[in-house]
Parts: sequence; structure tokens; C-alpha cells
Amino acid sequence: MSCLLCSREIPYQITLKDIFSFDEIPTPVICDSCKNTFTHWDSDNQCKGCGNGKAEGRPQLCKECQRWQQLYGWHLCHRGLYHYNDAMKNYMQRYKFNGDYRLRLVFQREFSRVVNQSKADIIVPIPVATATMQTRGFNQVVGLLREVQYQTVLQVIVEDKDTQSSKSRKERLKTAQPFGLISPEKVVNKRVLLVDDVYTTGRTLYHAASLLKQAGSQWIGSVSLAR
Amino acid sequence: MDLSDYYGRRILERRVGQVPAGVQTFPTIEIGANTIRCYRCNHITPKMKAALPENEYYCPHCINLGRVSTLTRFYHVPEPNQFKINYPVLTWSGKLSALQQRVSEKVCRGMTAHLHQLLWAVTGAGKTEMMFAGIAAAIERGERIGIASPRVDVCLELFPRLKAAFANCDIALLHGRQELPYHYAQVTVCTTHQLLKFYHAFDNLIIDEVDAFPYAANDALLYATRQSLKENGGCLYLTATPGDVLLREIKRQRLTVSYLPLRYHGYLLPRIIVRLMFEWRKYLKKDCLPPAVIRQLQRSLESHHRFLLFIPHVTDLKSVELAIRHSFAEQRFATVHANDSERLLKVQKMRDGEYDFLITTSILERGVTFPEIDVYVLGADDPVFSSSALVQIAGRAGRAKSRPDGTVIFWVNSNSHRVKQAVRQVNYLNKKGQKLKNELSFV
Repeated sequence: MSCLLCSREIPYQITLKDIFSFDEIPTPVICDSCKNTFTHWDSDNQCKGCGNGKAEGRPQLCKECQRWQQLYGWHLCHRGLYHYNDAMKNYMQRYKFNGDYRLRLVFQREFSRVVNQSKADIIVPIPVATATMQTRGFNQVVGLLREVQYQTVLQVIVEDKDTQSSKSRKERLKTAQPFGLISPEKVVNKRVLLVDDVYTTGRTLYHAASLLKQAGSQWIGSVSLAR
Repeated sequence: MDLSDYYGRRILERRVGQVPAGVQTFPTIEIGANTIRCYRCNHITPKMKAALPENEYYCPHCINLGRVSTLTRFYHVPEPNQFKINYPVLTWSGKLSALQQRVSEKVCRGMTAHLHQLLWAVTGAGKTEMMFAGIAAAIERGERIGIASPRVDVCLELFPRLKAAFANCDIALLHGRQELPYHYAQVTVCTTHQLLKFYHAFDNLIIDEVDAFPYAANDALLYATRQSLKENGGCLYLTATPGDVLLREIKRQRLTVSYLPLRYHGYLLPRIIVRLMFEWRKYLKKDCLPPAVIRQLQRSLESHHRFLLFIPHVTDLKSVELAIRHSFAEQRFATVHANDSERLLKVQKMRDGEYDFLITTSILERGVTFPEIDVYVLGADDPVFSSSALVQIAGRAGRAKSRPDGTVIFWVNSNSHRVKQAVRQVNYLNKKGQKLKNELSFV
């Protein structure tokens, strides 16, 4: 096996325990030194809304989330797995923008486990635009999910020519609602988990969440690989 | 997009949409039963690793050049050779030695006849200057010429020299980190990776340092060469250390060879001395070096010769440095490795004489010239040193006219095939060189 990220050989040996455990044998896809470049968020002393930043006052929210609270009257309880550091940016560049679909395997197992652990009734990945689908050939969020029962509830109706990642923070926050609901009846009185790849300003997820809220979802949570 | 961007190239475009007039389209991927083959890099990938959703496929192998997938197709316009030739073509006014002149003429004849040829010249023979005559003649014939090397630094070094030598000609530089957009030019300097983007473009292709890491002369490189050349195109490989693939091609007589076994100053290569240094790593664990090594380095310094000490791995660098600092406290030196941010600065300092020696991994194996140095390799039998790398390393010594020889010592833990091959290659060239010297002295 060679590492998907640095293509160096990964030293790995199957143990007897692996063979007799009757579970799937988790062969490593990236080497330890690449793995160590990604850093997890730890869970203490964080904002309740986005899992990041210094929480201030009550309810424990950071400045950004307080702004969302003011705007919508509610806030998401977002969970990001990893810091959006240089290693993660580089990974996203290769996976999403260069379109190296194999790289989904790097986080697929871990991310799917986190998604499946949630108490949600239905799982909704953020969709990609049709034009993106035609050039990229895959939805990067769905690629990260394995053995996850997800529902296609959302679709992109306003196709923006510029991608989110090419804009500045201010421009992003001004982005208009890009999504529409395909089958609103699916989410009525349901607990919904929104899944995205990266949470930067929260704009995308709040757009999606507000649609679901209008349609009558009972509870909305969100998870992203990077934050 | 300008139509000239497609001349002699295969450009990835989306599968849907109108094709501009005069543009040919090609498929990108051949889908087999269990595997797919990429038409750009010719690499075969199992379907499992190449799959996209909805029965689409992509090639993970050459993804750094832009993804080839079944969602795309190639646009191609056959090379029209639309060039305006400005005279004088060759603006280089240097002079070749008699020996270089002889080789240069042979190379020039070969390029005119569109032969596949190899110029096997020792390190520091002045290869670049010997191609000038051939390139100039080709430009005058209105041919499109490619000059490629597996290493970016070689391209970056070649480009200004070519620009100066052919000041009236349009020369383009292409490599992975290049930010300028591509433009159609009569002469293109590029990395061998970039050759994959060309298709039946060049009348003559020159590949410098064919054997260099990371794309040592292998079948992928030969494929890139073949498909970037026109069907009747000629190819010239330049190397100091032909690898197995090229030697095989010579044996099968697919390549004609010109030798230049003497350096520009007319001296033979320094002989490689191989010494057994049993279990030198044990010393390293205690942060010291074998006494014989220390003594030898001492000898170099006493005779005021600077030197390069090569070691196999970055991880050894720390302990070697400690050991040397212990023995040579008052000397000025530095360590260099591939991911060293100050690499260029340190090399420059060595050039300026601010250091007495450098300790380095194989990163300085080629392309750098320090005059009058000695060369030592600790652990030359380590698999990171290929035989061609070893010949290159040995070739760092004796490059100046003022000191045409130099000490080259390989310390090995055990004798290896690669070390033997390197010694044999140097001896072979020296034998040829000696013969040539004898011939010349008779005339």
C-alpha cells in the first residue's frame, strides 16, 4: 500500500487479531506523517453554534454565531471534525478541484461514522450544481459518505458562476439562496442532519437550514469535515 | 481560446459543447474489461481505482497535468509549422574546442536526418553548447523544436542560456509551476511531464539529463517522447549516465551514439575509490563518525580543498552534523536537503567560498558546480543512490581547469551492484577518453 497523499509506502501488517475479529480490516490509506498534518477540533470551551471560536456570554456563542442568531432567530449546532488548516486546504484542492476521487477514502470511514452516530432521522448532503457535476463528475460530500442512508432533498436552483471558495468573506455572506427543496414532505417533523465538506462562513449551511426550517423540520443539525 | 493553442497539442475540453472549426477531437480513455488506459500518459489503472460515479472514469496517474476523464475529450489541431524566421538565428559567439566541434557536427547531421540519437558525454563536457549548431539549423528549416528535461531546475537553467543564444527566436518555457499561460513558439523548453500535452508537434526533440530523478529514462518517458514527436521526427538524448532503458535501446540499435569521454578541459574523470566502511551506522548512533572518515576529511581540509559529503537519508543528517561539529568545531559548513528552505542560499554561500564544506543528501547530485572540490559519499551502497546518481555525484569533482582531478571516495557498508556499475561506467568512459587523447596527440 502506498499513501494516497504522499505516495510513500505505508508499513502495515495484518495481525492475527485482525483476521479473527470478523470485522472489516481497516487497511490504512494514508501514512502516519500525512495523518498528523490534520488536526482535530477538541471539544472544550467552544462556541455552541459552530464548534469554533471563543464563546462569549449566554448562550455560549461566538460573535459570528450571535450574528446568525440575530438574523434568523435561531442558530445551528454545527460540528466540524478537522481544522481547515493548510494540509486540509491542500487536501480539498486535490480532492475537490483537481477531482482526484480516490482521495475520498482518506476520511470516508471516519466521517461516515460521525454522520451515522447522530440521532437524526434523515441525512441530507449539500448538493452541487449541475455544471459542477458535469465537470467534476461527483458530489464531494456524497463521496465522503459510505454506508450512509442519505436523502436527496435539496437541489441547486440558482447556478452561481463563481464558486464559494473563490470569493471573499464579505461576498460570501451576501450570496443569495441557491437551494430549492425537491420533496418538502420528507422533512416535515423530522430531525435533519445537514452534511457539508467545509464550513467557512456558515452561509451555505444557513441557507439550506432555513429552507428546511420553513418546510417544518423539527430539529436541524450539521456536520462538516473541516471547519 | 486561440486556435494556435491547439497546434500540435492535445488539450482537455469538456465532452459537451460545440467543437470549433478545424479542430479534431480524440477520446481520452480506453475502457477495458477490468482496467482503463489513459491516452495521455498510457498508464493502465484498475477500474476500481479510476472510477467516478455513474460509470465514468478518470486517470489518477497524470492528474497533476489536469484530470483526464471520460467527461472530457481532447482537442487537437495538426502542427502547421507557422513560424517566421528572423536572422541571424544563432546569436551565440562562443567557441567550441576541436573535440566538441566534431561531436557538434555529428549531432547536427543527425538532427537534419531526424535520427534518434544519444549523446553520451561526461559530466562537465559542455553539452548544451554542442547542441546549438543543430538547433540553429533546425530553426532555419522552419522546424518546431522541443527541449525537455525531467527536472525543472535543468529547464530553468537552460532557458536563459537558450534565450541568449537564439535571441531572435521565440522560446516558450513550460513547467508545472509556471504561471504564464502557454503560447505557441518555435522552440519550447519544458519538463518531460509537459511533453504529454503535445501530440505530433516536434520535428526535433532534445532531452537533457534523461536519466535524472524523478522520471529517469523509463518507458513512460519514452512514450511521452514518441507521442510528442511527429511521425518522422528526430530525437536527441543527452546524458552523462545512460540508464538501463537507454543502454537497451543502444543494444537494439534503435539509437545512434556519439561519445564525448573528455571534459571541456580535456582531462579524464576522477577515478572513484571505493572503501569498505563496515557498520558506519553504529558510529552514527553514538553521534560520531568512523575515525577513517574523519581522517580523510581532515586531509582534504589540510590541503585546502573544499568538499561535498553525501549521505543517504535526511534522517542521518542530524547525527552526521553533530559528529562533524564535534571534530571540526572551527570549520564553516552547512547541511542541505530537499525540503530545506534555505537550500539555494546555502549553495550560493558554498559557491562564494563562505563554507568549507556541505553535508548533503542526493539533492545536489547534479546541476551544481563548485570548482576544485573533493567528493565523499558515506553509505554509497544505500538504495537511494542509483548508479547514475553515483556517476553524477562523482562528476562533481574535477570540473575546474585549475584542478582537473579531485578525490572521490565512496564509503560502503557492503559492495553493491550499483556502486560497481558506477565505477565501471567511469572506467569505461576514461578508457574511451584515454584512447581519444592518444589519437589526438598523434595528429
